[in-house]
Amino acid sequence: MAMAALRREGGRFAPLIYPRPITAFRSSPLPPILENEGPVGVRYISTQVVRNRMKSVKNIQKITKAMKMVAASKLRAIQTKAENSRGLWQPFTALLGDLPSADVKKNVVVTISSDKGLCGGINSTSVKISKGLHKLNSGPEKETKYVILGEKAKAQLIRDSKKDIELIITELQKNPLNYTQVSVLADEILKNVEFDALRIVFNKFHSVVSFVPTVSTVLSPEVVEKEAESGGKLGDLDSYEVEGGETKGEILQNLAEFQFSCVMFNAVLENACSEQGARMSAMDSSSRNAGDMLDRLTLTYNRTRQASITTELIEIISGASALEG
Amino acid sequence: MVIVPATTGQMGVLPGHVATIAELKPGVLSVHEGNETTKYFVSSGFVFIHANSFADIIAVEAVPLDQIDANLVQKGLVEFTQKLSSATTDLEKAEAQIGIDVHSALNSALTG
Repeated sequence: MAMAALRREGGRFAPLIYPRPITAFRSSPLPPILENEGPVGVRYISTQVVRNRMKSVKNIQKITKAMKMVAASKLRAIQTKAENSRGLWQPFTALLGDLPSADVKKNVVVTISSDKGLCGGINSTSVKISKGLHKLNSGPEKETKYVILGEKAKAQLIRDSKKDIELIITELQKNPLNYTQVSVLADEILKNVEFDALRIVFNKFHSVVSFVPTVSTVLSPEVVEKEAESGGKLGDLDSYEVEGGETKGEILQNLAEFQFSCVMFNAVLENACSEQGARMSAMDSSSRNAGDMLDRLTLTYNRTRQASITTELIEIISGASALEG
Repeated sequence: MVIVPATTGQMGVLPGHVATIAELKPGVLSVHEGNETTKYFVSSGFVFIHANSFADIIAVEAVPLDQIDANLVQKGLVEFTQKLSSATTDLEKAEAQIGIDVHSALNSALTG
């Protein structure tokens, strides 16, 4: 009776626990069971630490499950938008092609990333590719600058490429994404940054489990003219009659700017979808891990509890048999 | 057949049209399929007519005509005319002028 009461009060009476070396039959890597010297000289085993650990792991599991649900619902909302926006840049690619191999003097890499974390490795892959593009396009008379969208890429790129960053834009997803917002953004970039080629790095959303890092290239009108003259993919551009405007150059300028804003719109939406999908799978694996951990902790907890009951019984019985005989 | 509001005027596009890139101004886009016609108001954009008789129309905003509210069009027109008269910088004048162009095109789309 007294023993049980003492055990229950264990956490409060005993001075704060210090782990004793682990006993032979325990094989789990978790903290060893605690043996305390109580004030009466009685030894009892406390399950308090394991219980606390179980509580916190269970909370983490609940939180990550909730985050997964939230990400799933946000993904549903934004996925239709992203799929509809694909039709926006396809005509441009049909006309002007996508020429990642265009060799130009002034490259601008637009890296699109998320503001919030806990979304797996998508931001790291985008940054890796941006850095790769920078390296690829370095050489005499060539320069590459960065335009960064999103906190995560900013944190990673500001460490070693601070001098190459032209523009940083964050908090993109505060309001739901729409074309007007992105076109204002595109306008800012076009006004403030000189470029011959814009390379937009983002994660394209293929399915909930697959996000492919992609680079879309938008060329400035002068480069388009040059490529058209040299033949190759853009060779047929000259066969198109250009209506309206004073010169062909003016129309091509408007075209390039419109193309940039359309491609940006699609890229931002796809990246947002990829972010939510990556977060879903990250939170899913996290809650599964928490569940596994909880199972192991439960086993330890039960072993501890049973061991202390056995100890109590042994002491009672040996005390009783000592009295008898 | 498709009739697009290009900057140089209304342009009709039939299969076999020569390959063209044209910029659009605010106006009515009408798609004639057989005996049916669907009309949209387009704020601006581009039309690419390819040599294989495919045409791509990319518009910043396109609205079916029956979804336009006439009262809001009138209000917008009045508002932008006011803005033009009170505009000081070239930028403000240009923006007000664009607003007037779009709203008067909307007006004529609804009436005409």
